[in-house]
Amino acid sequence: MAEITAQTRKFQKELNAGTSSLVLLSVLNRSKEPMYGYQIAKLLEESGPEVPMMKQGTLYPVLRSLEENSLLESTVEPSVSGPPRRYYKITKDGRAALEEWLEIWKQTKKFVDTILKG
Amino acid sequence: MFNKIEEYLDALKNEMKDADPALVLDALADAREHLSMALEAAREKTPDVNEAEALNSIIEEYGTPEETASAYKEVERRTSPILKQTIKPRSLFGYFFGVYVDPRAWGALLYMLIAFVTGIFYFTWAVTGVSISISFLIFIFGFPLALLFLLSVRGLALLEGRLVEALLGVRMPRRPLFSHQGMKWFDRLKALLTDKATWLMLVYMVAQFVLGTVYFVAIVTALSFSLAFTAIPFIQTAFPHTAIMYYNGTSHYFPVWSYPLCVLGGFVLWTTFMNIVRGVGQLHGRFAKWLLVSE
Repeated sequence: MAEITAQTRKFQKELNAGTSSLVLLSVLNRSKEPMYGYQIAKLLEESGPEVPMMKQGTLYPVLRSLEENSLLESTVEPSVSGPPRRYYKITKDGRAALEEWLEIWKQTKKFVDTILKG
Repeated sequence: MFNKIEEYLDALKNEMKDADPALVLDALADAREHLSMALEAAREKTPDVNEAEALNSIIEEYGTPEETASAYKEVERRTSPILKQTIKPRSLFGYFFGVYVDPRAWGALLYMLIAFVTGIFYFTWAVTGVSISISFLIFIFGFPLALLFLLSVRGLALLEGRLVEALLGVRMPRRPLFSHQGMKWFDRLKALLTDKATWLMLVYMVAQFVLGTVYFVAIVTALSFSLAFTAIPFIQTAFPHTAIMYYNGTSHYFPVWSYPLCVLGGFVLWTTFMNIVRGVGQLHGRFAKWLLVSE
């Protein structure tokens, strides 16, 4: 892959600003257990493309802002080694939001695909 | 190149030095959690891993301090505390009477009422904890007791921070900053004792008792005076023989023409008080931030 220009990186970042909330909500919706940040980052890394779409560090502020809007809730649990972990869980509001967002995503995707195909 | 997690955290802190201190604490807690967990995982995979190299490949995925800092600032810009979005006042008059639709004023009023209860609790907790901890230090079990107490102070400070943010709209830390991982409990106690933040939190807990009492007395006084003034016309009309003032055996009544003035006076008094409450709320928020959020 060619050298990523600053412009491309900015484009990626702007795209991620919207999609990362959707991705995180859907990951937490699918998981039966509450998950902590590192776990989510690993999961995304394993199922994502070879070139990482986003830096893992950018997930955390998004998680927190989702919690702020009560789409997620979290609990801190001490861990045997290292600092305590913050476990995130989706809320009822979060599920409702995810349903709406998925619909928007489907329509956006269809729209963009149609335009790109020409 | 970063050789230690601490170096990364320092760089991140430096990168965010113009950001809100509470946001910085959140960012540091997240980074610490992630990096130490990733490093732990790398160690489990290959026990004789070069830590500095492993850390750098982890940071490669996590993002440079610069990238991480900008991510936090970006998200924070989009989600500031709800109370911050206040209605722009049109004029001084509008600002003064608009206090009734300003969520900050109501939040501050509620906070000041709650502060009476929490203030008493904090004070009792702090005084009891300090005296029990100090006197039990002559026994072995005094040390874990002191540690528990100091940790509880940290916890209460975090809780108070959430309260301040919710009601006063001042950004406070949303998660505890644990910097004592892997320490023996005795070292942890020492670290807590030598940390300026712990003592500032204790000072806050004691000060909250005085402030909470003052707030409560002020609210009750202002409310009774305002209600009394507003009620004068109604009371004089409903109970004609109830004098408002006795002086030298003669009863004094408010003349009928002054009724509108009495009602207006009571209303203006309460409105003024609500304005003061709004201001005091902002001041208290700053005070709480100064004592509870140390850099």
